[in-house]
Amino acid sequence: MIKLYDYILSVNCYKQRLMMSILDVPFESVPVDFYPGWEHKGEEFKKINPLGHIPVIDDDGFMLRDAHAILIYLASKYDPSGLWYPTSNPELIGETSQWMLFAEGTTNTASAARLYVNLGYEFDIEACRVGAHRLFRVLDEHLWFREQENLDWICSGGHPTVADIAIFPDVILSEEGGIARIDYPALRRWTDRVKRIPGFEPMPGIFPAGDARPLSHEGEVNA
Amino acid sequence: MRFLADQGICTNAAILDLWHPLAPSSEIQVGVVRELPLLGETVSCLSTAPDVYRAWRTDPATPVGTVCEPSPATEGLPILDRYGYLWTSLGVPNGDLFDIPEYDELDRRNIHAATIGVHCSAPRAIENFLDMGHFPYVHTGVLGIEPHTEVVDYDVHIDVETNDLWATNCLFFQPVSATTSAGGAMVGYTYRVPHPYCTLLYKTSPLDESRMDVIGLFVRSVGPDRIEAHMILSLLDDSSTESFIRRFQQAIFAEDKPILENQHPKLLPLDPRAETPVRSDRLAIAYRRWLSDLGVTYGVIREE
Amino acid sequence: MTESLMNLWHPIASSDDVQYRHVFQGQLLGREFAVWRADDDFVNVWENRCLHRGVRLSIGQNEGLELRCRYHGWRYASRSAGCTYIPAHPADAPARTICNRTFPSVERYGLIWSGEDPVGEPPQIAALEDSETLLLRSIVVNAPIKLVLGHLANYRFSITADPDNVATTSIDYQDERSLSLTATSDGEESTVVFFVQPVDSNRSVIRGLLSSSPSGTERLPTLRHHSMELSRLRDTDELEALDGPSLEPMVATIEQDPVALSEVVTSSGRKAALRVQVLRKWTTAEGVVGLELESIGKPLPTHQPGAHIDVHLPNGLVRQYSLTNAPGEGSLYRIGVKLEPDSRGGSACLHETVKEGDVLAISEPRNNFPLRRDTVKTILIAGGIGVTPLLAMAQTLRSNNLDYELHYFAQTDGHLAFPEVLHELGDAVVLRLGLSPDETSRALTVLLAGYKPAMHIYVCGPGPMLEATRRIASGADWPDEAVHFEYFQNTIEVDSSSSFEVSLARSALTLEVPSGKTILEVLRDNGIALISSCEQGACGTCEVAVIEGEPEHQDVYLNDSEKLAGQRIMTCVSRAKSSRLVLDI
Repeated sequence: MIKLYDYILSVNCYKQRLMMSILDVPFESVPVDFYPGWEHKGEEFKKINPLGHIPVIDDDGFMLRDAHAILIYLASKYDPSGLWYPTSNPELIGETSQWMLFAEGTTNTASAARLYVNLGYEFDIEACRVGAHRLFRVLDEHLWFREQENLDWICSGGHPTVADIAIFPDVILSEEGGIARIDYPALRRWTDRVKRIPGFEPMPGIFPAGDARPLSHEGEVNA
Repeated sequence: MRFLADQGICTNAAILDLWHPLAPSSEIQVGVVRELPLLGETVSCLSTAPDVYRAWRTDPATPVGTVCEPSPATEGLPILDRYGYLWTSLGVPNGDLFDIPEYDELDRRNIHAATIGVHCSAPRAIENFLDMGHFPYVHTGVLGIEPHTEVVDYDVHIDVETNDLWATNCLFFQPVSATTSAGGAMVGYTYRVPHPYCTLLYKTSPLDESRMDVIGLFVRSVGPDRIEAHMILSLLDDSSTESFIRRFQQAIFAEDKPILENQHPKLLPLDPRAETPVRSDRLAIAYRRWLSDLGVTYGVIREE
Repeated sequence: MTESLMNLWHPIASSDDVQYRHVFQGQLLGREFAVWRADDDFVNVWENRCLHRGVRLSIGQNEGLELRCRYHGWRYASRSAGCTYIPAHPADAPARTICNRTFPSVERYGLIWSGEDPVGEPPQIAALEDSETLLLRSIVVNAPIKLVLGHLANYRFSITADPDNVATTSIDYQDERSLSLTATSDGEESTVVFFVQPVDSNRSVIRGLLSSSPSGTERLPTLRHHSMELSRLRDTDELEALDGPSLEPMVATIEQDPVALSEVVTSSGRKAALRVQVLRKWTTAEGVVGLELESIGKPLPTHQPGAHIDVHLPNGLVRQYSLTNAPGEGSLYRIGVKLEPDSRGGSACLHETVKEGDVLAISEPRNNFPLRRDTVKTILIAGGIGVTPLLAMAQTLRSNNLDYELHYFAQTDGHLAFPEVLHELGDAVVLRLGLSPDETSRALTVLLAGYKPAMHIYVCGPGPMLEATRRIASGADWPDEAVHFEYFQNTIEVDSSSSFEVSLARSALTLEVPSGKTILEVLRDNGIALISSCEQGACGTCEVAVIEGEPEHQDVYLNDSEKLAGQRIMTCVSRAKSSRLVLDI
């Protein structure tokens, strides 16, 4: 069984819990005393990750660190459909990689702002907020144009990929860092869609979406 | 850590003349000055020797990035080391801090769970802590679950001697697990508000029915609409790890945070007609009236 | 300038922004809105604040016909924004006054229009009528509306979506929040109309419409072209705004708790607050007419499942009828009236005299038969015309995905009222036709076997059926509080054994408060318009001073010493220990 070195309030750990829930992959959560224990910064933990970060997974001896790398691994290994990390399609895999790198940006701005407010991390909070808004603007426009083509997800394949999973938690918890999403309606609609992916699971601070509108008797397709 | 202290310096005697929790004593190291925002100002504190502390008002003229050192001219602030926290006052505290007898019991585990920053006013955070009706909706599967949403009538009184606000005979259905509403049982709660920005919850201990576990929320009001919330527990539990207990509390608080940060106005309105309470809000109604009677103006909107 | 903007209609969202089962967060002139589309396509524009504890409704859940607040799960009906259910008090009907603040909403040109206090109608633009328009991507700009409009006047674009082929542009018209430009190039023309939404003192949204939509393959390039050009304009606007004066954010006023609606006394002395017009009248079953009643002027107050209205008949009689409405179906009231053979003229009047187009006086809905939603299963038992309140309940339970069954006892197929609603409810409806009293009892016995905790029964019908149900349920170990019933009669028996008198010192009036009625209700029935809010003894609004007598306090507002002093009373819940109270009103 996969071991996930985990902390309940970590956005990057949540990305793994979410992916594994969607892929229906059982795992064992190994809690790391992140706060106020700072266990991940201790000497013992260096054996698991010399960089002193979580999440880290241990899949039957195979160790991997870095949230976005772990997502790629999980999708590659445990998704029989091959859609979550679509290596068979060069354009799609290019897009997925592009947006995974974008996710590095949302983590370093929006999620950094959240750590500043919640736990007092020393960051340049103004730079984090300005940076997050810049990225949200770009993503909002991107998602709006996707909707114009009846596409619901970040990449153009018509199905969600690890890029959606990598970016979603940074976006949905942005208000904790003082980054409001009122100016980004397409982004807000996309977060509702992510919440309705079968197997979706929230974390503290995320509210579940309700059911989608059922199909009418006449079978018309509804949003 | 350096925070930018918000506007809104407190001039409200009812709040200034109280003890306020700065930080866990264990986090104040010998020889390292910490600057912490409090009531619109900044307080510096350090430990000069194990279990010996000093605190003083940070000189606002100190350039950003340098640390303000006490000088003979710097006004020292009163200090209390209680319940694992360092407390101070920016006014003249009338007497001692409120008493928590359970804390000193020998078989207690006293745990500081976390300090979390929230963009809300202290009274909003306290009032949320006193509320049960949100358990099935905000703490789904943990403190409450549909369809067990009913809040039955409970009692509220003010202690004649201490002026502490109490709610007793509170009952709410607690599920056994997150995945099913079957099982579970009614749990008894007692709430106590001994300080406008501090509150305690008493729950019967699963290990000894005659004794109570205590969970506390001690709020440091950074500005009128911004707080650092300290969570403390005093338990009889002998099996869970401290780490587990802390995570559990942190998760609960993290579920409340988006609610608190999405309330408007941020300052708690004391006019009973400003918002619409129902019967289950009996304790909240009493808390707002209690704040009014105490003359609190910081973090609240007074009645028209 | 802000004052004039306050009285205009502004676009606050695009139609596409307001998806089913989603809540859009918008803002206009400093006020945030929660905008949501109900399953019947009605677009609700509400103040973005639940009046319970001020939590944003935009983080709430759009459940199709109702909006659920995220904090305590309070449900609010589409259209009226009235609260229909409070989970902490599952057995109580929420007070009618618990109603969020609504703003008008009109869909036009693919946009949702609303306003702070709008006059007239949203603008009608000739260029946008009678044609296939194209709504551009809306652009949020951190700059004041005046600055944005100023730059928009110089907006340049290409008709062919080619940035190297920008057209000559002229301004068709311009006002304090919109402008229209026509671009000409190589004999082709393209008109774009811009509405600038004033979000705040330093924030606006540019919403543009092309008067004619380009053909299929050109559509996306056109959208991209304008998005790019407008984004560049936005960047310029924002840079300039940074250099401009620092502006205070606009602050919207939050209204105090709305006061109970003032009421009109009719000749019969009872309250008839509303005027409605008969929109439709039809025979829905043998001996039963259906009536749909539309409001004249003001929107209809919220209905809750189980509620009824008093209908003041032209012949002077007053009769009560249950509402069959589904949740959020707030633009009319639907009732079913059975012709009673020994009627004193009530039902006969509605059957024979009243016709479509007639105006009737009715009361606001009252709910003595509220529906719990904290059940694991609900059994609805209808006897004849008693089905009417249960239809409203069934539709609510279905909308909330709660398990239920509706057992409808009727003489024949032709006696089934509102068959179209029954059809919608599908398998949840079990028909019991033509059963004798014994057969009915046997059916009920089978139905009521197997009680489990958190199951509830709601039964409505003729007296003997109610008695049979209560007897059988009790025998099958159903607790009393799980069996809810409403007698289908027009008069409620009054138990005067625990009644008391109130004397009004300043009005020289003495009234009897019978058991089952509150002081507040009795005062209102007699023309004394006391204000109220929660009607649960929590908020203190309905407080009155007591001069004489001993109150029996049932509220949670007064503290112990205030209760002891006995000089104040909450008229919505409290009663009297003495036989008489003298009130200072």
